[in-house]
This record gives sequence, C-alpha cells and structure tokens, in this order.
Amino acid sequence: MVLACIASLIGYGVLFGFVLDRPLDLAWLRVQIEAKLAHGAALPSPKLVILAGSNGPYSHRCAVIGPLLHMPCVNAGVAVGVGLDYLFARWTPLLRARDVVYLPMEEQQYARSADATEVGPDAAIMFRHDWRTLAKLPTTRWLGAFFAFDLPAAATSVVETAAASAGIADARATGAETNAWGDHVGHTRDKAEANAGVLAAMLPMHETADAVARGGGAAVIARFVREASAHGVRVIGGLPTGFADSPPPPATIAAIREIYEANGGTFAALSNLSRYPRADFYDSPDHLNEEAQIAHSRAIAALLAERLTGVAVSAR
Amino acid sequence: MLFSSQVFVLAFLPVCLAGWRVFHSSRLRRLWALPFLIVASLVFYAWWRTELVLLLVGSVGANYALGQRIRHLARGGSDTAARRWLAAGIAANLLLLGWFKYADFAARTVGLTPPGVALPLAISFFTFQQIMFLAESRRDARGNFGLVPYAAFVTFFPHLIAGPIVRPSEIIPQFASAPSRRLDAEALSSGLTLFLIGLAKKLVLADTFAPLANVGFDAAAQGASLTFVEAWVAVLAFALQIYFDFSGYSDMAIGLARMFGIRFPVNFNAPYQAASIAEFWHRWHITLSAFLRDYVYIPLGGNRRGPARQHVNLMATMLLGGLWHGAAWTFVAWGGLHGAYLVAQRLWSRHVRFALPHAACRAMTLLAVLIAWVPFRAAGADASLRMLRGMAGLDGIALPQLFVDAFPLLTRVATPVPVLLHLGDARTLALPEAAACLLLGWAIVLLLPPVQDWSERVRAWSLSGSFAFSAQALFFAPHMTPFLYFRF
Repeated sequence: MVLACIASLIGYGVLFGFVLDRPLDLAWLRVQIEAKLAHGAALPSPKLVILAGSNGPYSHRCAVIGPLLHMPCVNAGVAVGVGLDYLFARWTPLLRARDVVYLPMEEQQYARSADATEVGPDAAIMFRHDWRTLAKLPTTRWLGAFFAFDLPAAATSVVETAAASAGIADARATGAETNAWGDHVGHTRDKAEANAGVLAAMLPMHETADAVARGGGAAVIARFVREASAHGVRVIGGLPTGFADSPPPPATIAAIREIYEANGGTFAALSNLSRYPRADFYDSPDHLNEEAQIAHSRAIAALLAERLTGVAVSAR
Repeated sequence: MLFSSQVFVLAFLPVCLAGWRVFHSSRLRRLWALPFLIVASLVFYAWWRTELVLLLVGSVGANYALGQRIRHLARGGSDTAARRWLAAGIAANLLLLGWFKYADFAARTVGLTPPGVALPLAISFFTFQQIMFLAESRRDARGNFGLVPYAAFVTFFPHLIAGPIVRPSEIIPQFASAPSRRLDAEALSSGLTLFLIGLAKKLVLADTFAPLANVGFDAAAQGASLTFVEAWVAVLAFALQIYFDFSGYSDMAIGLARMFGIRFPVNFNAPYQAASIAEFWHRWHITLSAFLRDYVYIPLGGNRRGPARQHVNLMATMLLGGLWHGAAWTFVAWGGLHGAYLVAQRLWSRHVRFALPHAACRAMTLLAVLIAWVPFRAAGADASLRMLRGMAGLDGIALPQLFVDAFPLLTRVATPVPVLLHLGDARTLALPEAAACLLLGWAIVLLLPPVQDWSERVRAWSLSGSFAFSAQALFFAPHMTPFLYFRF
C-alpha cells in the first residue's frame, strides 16, 4: 500500500511536470510574462516598471508615461491571480539602483492568502516550465506547485492539447492585443459599448483595511518594497482604477499607503483616487477603455514626475 | 467531522487508532477498549453540535432498556406484551425522528409556521439501527448483549453519520468479542486501502462532478431554461456525483470499521450496471433497501396478498424511502418514480412474453434512474420540469460556435452560441472538459466491477492512480480559486 502511494506521487509528478501541459490557458500567460521580461531586460536604467494585475496593462500605458517622464518603461502586469512572489522573483534581477517601480495593485492582490497563491496559475507554469524560479521560492511554494493540479486540470490539459493541435490559439498569446511596451491596446470605447450593460450592473467589492493589512499579498509586497528600496530602487505604491461611484474606503487606502511608507517606499494617489465614470471602462473596474487609459496615463505620469523630481508637471 | 476533512484524516483517525491499540494491548482491554471507542465516537459526533450528544446518549440508553424489557418478556413467553413494548418502542423512535426531521416539513405543508427544529446529524441512521435492535430483541430473545457493546454498535463513528445500516445481530457480537481478539495487521492494511479508495471517490471524483451538476441545477432553480447539452451534462454529472459521494463514503466507513476489526456489509454493488430497477435496488444503498424490505414492505404484506396489494406495498415502501432521504416533496417524487418503475417492471414481467436484450435493459434502467435523479436534486417541481424539458430538447439544442465551425454538419441540429452559459464555468472549452471528465466517470461506473470484487493488485493500481489526487484534493483544492482570465 505504501509503495502504491509513493508510485502515485511519482506518477503524478511526472504526468504534470513532463507530460501534460496547458497550451491555451497558461501559454498566453507565460508568453506575456516572458515577453515583458525580455523587454524589461533590454531597457537601460533608470527605467520605469509598472507592476500590477491586469489593471497595469489595461489602465496604464507605458507608451504615454515613458516619454512624458523621459524614461524607458515596461508595463509588466499580466493578471490578478499570478503570484506576486513569482513576479517579484522574476523582476528583481532586472532592477537596478535608480529604477522606478510603480505598483497600482488591485485591492485583492493585498488580501490574497498565501495558500491561494501557492496553487495559482503561476504554480502550474513554474512546475511545468520554470523550475529555476520555483527553486528560488520558499519550500511551501514547491509543495503548492507540485499539488497545483486536480483531475479537471488533467482533463483540461488533454482538451487544450487537442485544441492546440487543431490550430486553435489564444490571440493574447500572439501578442496582437499588446504593444511593444507591454500595454494592452485596441480595447476602444466603441468596443466597450458591447459591455455597457455588464459594466452598469457590476457591484465592485472592496477589501477592508484589516484584510489588506493582514493579507498574504500585503506581506509579499512589503518584503519586495523593503528589499528593492534597500538596493536603491524607488518603489511607489498607487491605487488601481475603479468606478467613481464606488471609491475604496479611506481606511483601506490608508492600509495600502502604510504598506509602502512603512517599508521604505512611497505612495502616490491622484486627487480622484483613480476613479472614473463607468462609461470610461472597457469590461471591468480594473480595465479602462483605451481612450481613458491614455488620459489616466497622462495623469499618472504627472503624478510620478512630481514624486520623482519634486516639481509639479502638467498632465497635458 | 467528515471523513474527508483534514482534521479527521490527520488528527482524529490516528489518535483513535493509536488509542484503540493502546487500550487493546493493556491488561484491562476488556474493561476499557470499547468505552474508549464509544467516547471517541461521541467526540466525533460532538464535533458538529455538542449539545445533541445528549440526544444520542439518551436514545441509546432508552432503546437499550426497551430492548432488555422486550427480550425479557419474549423469553418469558409474554409475546403479546413483547409486541406491545416493541410497537411502543418503534413509535417512540419514529416520533422522535418525525419531530426532528419532519416537523418543519409538515407545518409548511399544512400552511403553519415551521417550528424551526434543527435536524440532529445522523438521526435517521441511528433511529433505524435501534428499531432493528428492538425488533431483533423480540425475534431472538435468547441473544443478549451488554450495554457497552450495544452503545459501541450504535455510536461507532464509521457508520454513525451515513450508514451502512447494519444488522445488530451481526455486528454487536463483533463488538462484544473485539477486545479479546488479536489486532490484525492485514485488517488494518486492507481497511486503510479501502478507506483511501473511498476518499478518492469522494474527493477526486464526486467533487469533480459536483460543480458541473450545480451549475445546471442552480440555473434551473433560478428559472433559466436549459438547452439539451446543458441539461444532460448536469444530470449525468449529478448521477456520478451522488454515486461516488455515497459509495465513497460507504467504502470509507467499511474500511474504517475493518481497521478496528469490525466487518460491515457491502453497501454498493455497481448499481448503474443494473439491468432492471429491482436489480438497481439490490445494488444501490443495499443496507437501506434491505431495511425497507424487511421493516416496511414485508410487514405491509409484501407479495403475499395478490398483485394489486403488492403494487400498493411497493409504492408505499418507495414513497417512504424517498421521504426518509429528506423532508421535501422532491424526495417523495423521487421515491414515487422508483415505486412506479418497480410496479411497471412487475406488470411487464407478468404480462409481456418477450425479453429485451440485456444491453437494452441496462440502458433503459439507467435512463429511468437518471430521470428520477432530476426531482431528487432539483430545488422544486418547477426546476425539475425545466430540467426535464431541457433533457428532452424542448428548449433547444445549442453548441459553442467553435464546435459548429469545426463540424459544420452540427448546424443541422444545433444553434451556435458563443458559450453555453449553464455548463461548467461557461467557457468554450468547458464542454469538452466536462465531456472528458464524464467519460472517465461513466467508464468507471459502467465498466469496472465494484470495489469489493477487486483483487489486491487492482486495489494497489487504483491507489497508485488516485492517491496523489486525493492528497491534492484534501490539502490544496480548498485554496484553489478560479482564474478569471481563461478565455476558452
């Protein structure tokens, strides 16, 4: 019986570590992450790195912010749910003194538990394709990555492999929706019309100050801010975009601010707290439409310039 | 505390097994081994609601005293008095069960305000066990058991919550002799293997099919119309969910009992391979079927009073069996459907002279069972009808655009849609993923023999295939959250 259990664990590891893959759902994530890392590695310092979930590429545009700040810029965010420790582990080696990292993290990134992070999509990516990064992470992450696959995941792998063989591909993996800076493009106001009903009905949820302060994500961010700041990297926390009719509670904002300021970073927020009318969004409160993305990026560029130089800069 | 919880697997079971071994090895094993098991079982029960342990303890004490009284009267030749005491005992047990389980249901049915009675965990099971004990006390007055083995039998945690419903005359003697029997390493090993196989059935298979079933049935409950594919995926998934859930729990219970040297009867025997409804009930929840046969159907007259009365008896038995599963009309409808199937089968075998091919019998039986699962799982009559309409294709046949594009012939029967909203997580690939899982599940239930017929080698292979997934489900699955950005 013991031998059967050991054989089961070995077989499971071999199956998900070497045989099964997710060529559609996880491939685009991997392709996006790797492409942005490659772009970031090619940039001279000092550079600006915008790191968040999908709020980063959808609501911020490096192609606008970079030139306004006269800094090379990479929009490094991909999606909420990708482990922050994984992203920080990949980006930290590319950061140099005087680089600037701007983190307009979604509220749930702070509150996300360590348990949930351990079995997130990046765990599957690391276990199948990136053991080098996995080795740098704590051993609890190794265990989580090993056990990140359930029976439906096996079925999904088989189906996705068959679909990929039949020529089906995710447009996001081809880079058609992302520009060279890593910004999401093409999510125009016209296209957003199709989502107007959904946007009107959405009820955004906010994290409490306590959930933010005690969250597993908050601890990971705090550690990154501390270590990056110690190496001369300027880390600036920010707020994600959201509906004007649903601002985050002041206590939540204070808790977010505290994570940066208590660990050697700074925090910067627009006077509108990055809140916009629902008509400015594409398909969720984290995703501005392209026109609003550009306008918001100008405002953020002005805010960052003020923080970096101490001089107020016009958003226009 | 569930068998499939971390606290049970990591704490309760090891402590319980270690304690049993320590007490069993001591000189005072005859005195302390069974009381230890009773206390452990009460802790197991109290994990849910401590105060209801008093109900369980009171029920055990009262029924034991009643059983002794009935046995004494029967042994002394006062059979009429023994019968009266037996009737009073059964009535008292059923009243208790009725109050806790059916008071709210009855009040709602007649339009009164429900009293809001909390249903004590496992009351249906320990009530039936004790009714069997009282009946056996009258039938076999010579047998006599002490309070301790009796209490160990009723409260024994492996079968306390969800059966199997075991015959007291078969199990109490095992408890009575358990402290003096040698601990059997082979029993421990085979029991643990069976427990792990049951755990895999529950955590890996049943919990995979549950979300597929929930999406469809929840949509029907909210008034949505389901298309053909959505409805069938939900029903096929639920049939697998309930089978793997319940048979997995039974395997775990039988395996746990085996670890303590107690042999429980088989409770499932590949029911979806049945070629008739009667055979289905000989294979599904076998110990409940036997209870209903021996304590409802036969006392009502069984088949001894002519065909018409037999049909009435069958319907009554199945309706009560349905109501036993839960206090709702949907369960009564499920029982009624099975009663009607059994009557139809009797009429067919009595009046129709040709036999259908075996495969056709199996297919028809399975279809009938699947249809009956609809009211069992649905939130109410309206939701049941919506689900049945969907299964009949009356609300259309739709398929994801991707498939219709790939196989243009499908346009003749199916309407292309971006995604099937009421199937899985409503992605395009949710359909083939569900199909792959359903294929695996139905292959297991239709092609493999039941666990109890597996050789040691097959059990080892089964464990090799499932153990890692069970560990994953037990420790990591609770933390997995859906990733929102999957496009297909």
